[in-house]
Amino acid sequence: MMRPSSISLRRPARQILFSSVSTIRAAAPVPTTATHRSLSTSTSTGSGCPCANGSRRPQVKQTQELQQQQQQRQQRQHRNAYHSYDHPSSSAAFTPVEESILSAAYQHVPSHGFTPSALAAGARDAGYLDISPTILPEGAFALIRYHLVKQREELAPRVSELFGGEGHVGARPGLSEWEIRGRVEAVTWERLSANAQVIGRWQEALAIMAQPSYVPPSLKELALLSDEILFLAGDSSVDPSWYTKRASLSTIYAAAELFMTNDHSPEFMDTRAFLNRRLREVNEVGGVFRNLREWVGFTATAGVNVLRSKGVRI
Amino acid sequence: MLRPATRPALVATRQVRQCAARFFSSPVSPDTSSSHVHSPSTTPETNPAPPPPNSRSSTSSSKGKKPLTAEQRAFLSSALRVNQAGELAATLIYTGQTPPLVTRDPSLRPLMKHMYDQEAAHLRTFNDLIYRHRVRPTALYPLWSVMATGLGWGTAMLGKEAAMACTEAVETEIGGHYNAQIRKLLEMVSEWEAEGYEVGAEFRHLINTLRRIRDEELEHLDHAVEHDAQKAEPHWLLTGVIRAGCRGAIWVSERV
Repeated sequence: MMRPSSISLRRPARQILFSSVSTIRAAAPVPTTATHRSLSTSTSTGSGCPCANGSRRPQVKQTQELQQQQQQRQQRQHRNAYHSYDHPSSSAAFTPVEESILSAAYQHVPSHGFTPSALAAGARDAGYLDISPTILPEGAFALIRYHLVKQREELAPRVSELFGGEGHVGARPGLSEWEIRGRVEAVTWERLSANAQVIGRWQEALAIMAQPSYVPPSLKELALLSDEILFLAGDSSVDPSWYTKRASLSTIYAAAELFMTNDHSPEFMDTRAFLNRRLREVNEVGGVFRNLREWVGFTATAGVNVLRSKGVRI
Repeated sequence: MLRPATRPALVATRQVRQCAARFFSSPVSPDTSSSHVHSPSTTPETNPAPPPPNSRSSTSSSKGKKPLTAEQRAFLSSALRVNQAGELAATLIYTGQTPPLVTRDPSLRPLMKHMYDQEAAHLRTFNDLIYRHRVRPTALYPLWSVMATGLGWGTAMLGKEAAMACTEAVETEIGGHYNAQIRKLLEMVSEWEAEGYEVGAEFRHLINTLRRIRDEELEHLDHAVEHDAQKAEPHWLLTGVIRAGCRGAIWVSERV
């Protein structure tokens, strides 16, 4: 039903596409039909062959450019690099084609989960072939990463709304520590609430993220998220607590996310209480360390000053 | 007020100053003009000849601002990180030096306070820049704190001359280091201008801040030389060791 001759691919694009799907070329109709059939049984609105679907031509032509863009993107994602306001680097984490497939597939997550079939359905919705998600080397994990990246990027406008339209960058210098704690809690909760729409599928996603090859990118996203939360909350510490705050917030966030997948309370009240308890604990432990350091510092200075007053030349 | 320039430190100061003067006077450094890449499509009439320096803001409004590349961001991150670590160390060196020095020679109190206040202001500047531009601070913060306090206190215990030799060595390294950063930033800016892009106020401000701080650091170098830094025994060993240590610390801070 879907002959390769009906697809007018330009030659380089075809080579790349087929080399990435390796053996498909020899037996092109078979796997395509198989994927398609399984999809049309699972979606009630399956409309048959994708070539009949509004007669949209497959747009797989810019595959070469895509690969270049992917490389550039990997270079671009430099952690905690200088963030310029006047000369912002483009922050697009996905290429336009990936973006269109993933955003369409994201709509299928509540029904299909973070699975290849959601990706295939999304590709079809976006007007591509069912096999076009093969341009996403990470498969279903790409969909999870899309969720993580998008929700992180949407956090800034939502937080600015939350705090009364105030720009977040150094808008109000000299927030007290107490205020910052409250803001950290509010921003973290804002991000957790964004998981609500996919919460039924989030355990699957966490399982995929825990696969060894996906652990590093997942942890990187977690680190970027905790950095974003603390920055949006207005925490301006640039000493070693920069590290401890990010580490503890990452732990708390991951735990709260896991807790939330089993939370059936209205509006996730239990999760919010859980989050508050964890944050309070960290603040208490941090307070103990701070007091200890202060005491040691005070005692040492006092000792040195006593010796100096006795005429010891130090 | 300065003595005749036969002494090596003054020659060094002078060289750093001349470097600085060169970068003040010429906005386009000679070696960048060949390396930039013209984009072929837009505004062919402005591309062949880079605009003269005095008309830069008016001609370059067409193309907007160019996004930073990954290398430029990496450079700026490591530059801000190392500057913060350096100013932290400088603040702690003066904190460690002040009590022993002032006990021996109370006339040094205003000078030490003046230098400390300037370093503390620099530290605040860089803390703010690091926060605003979301750069990771150095992971070796506690190590630099301990080492800088130890260096300041140790040299002050050796005597006023050794303490001043320490200041001389540190500020010489720092002056050269700031100059290298300013040079790199000016290269970036002139490259943008040659390609017809706008340069944001953020960068002009950053360059001006670095220049101001560089000049204040070199002023400390002058103070140190005026206060018998050269009479330290053995001067070559003290300054050599401290300068090597500074270079090592800068190298590490740029990475970690």
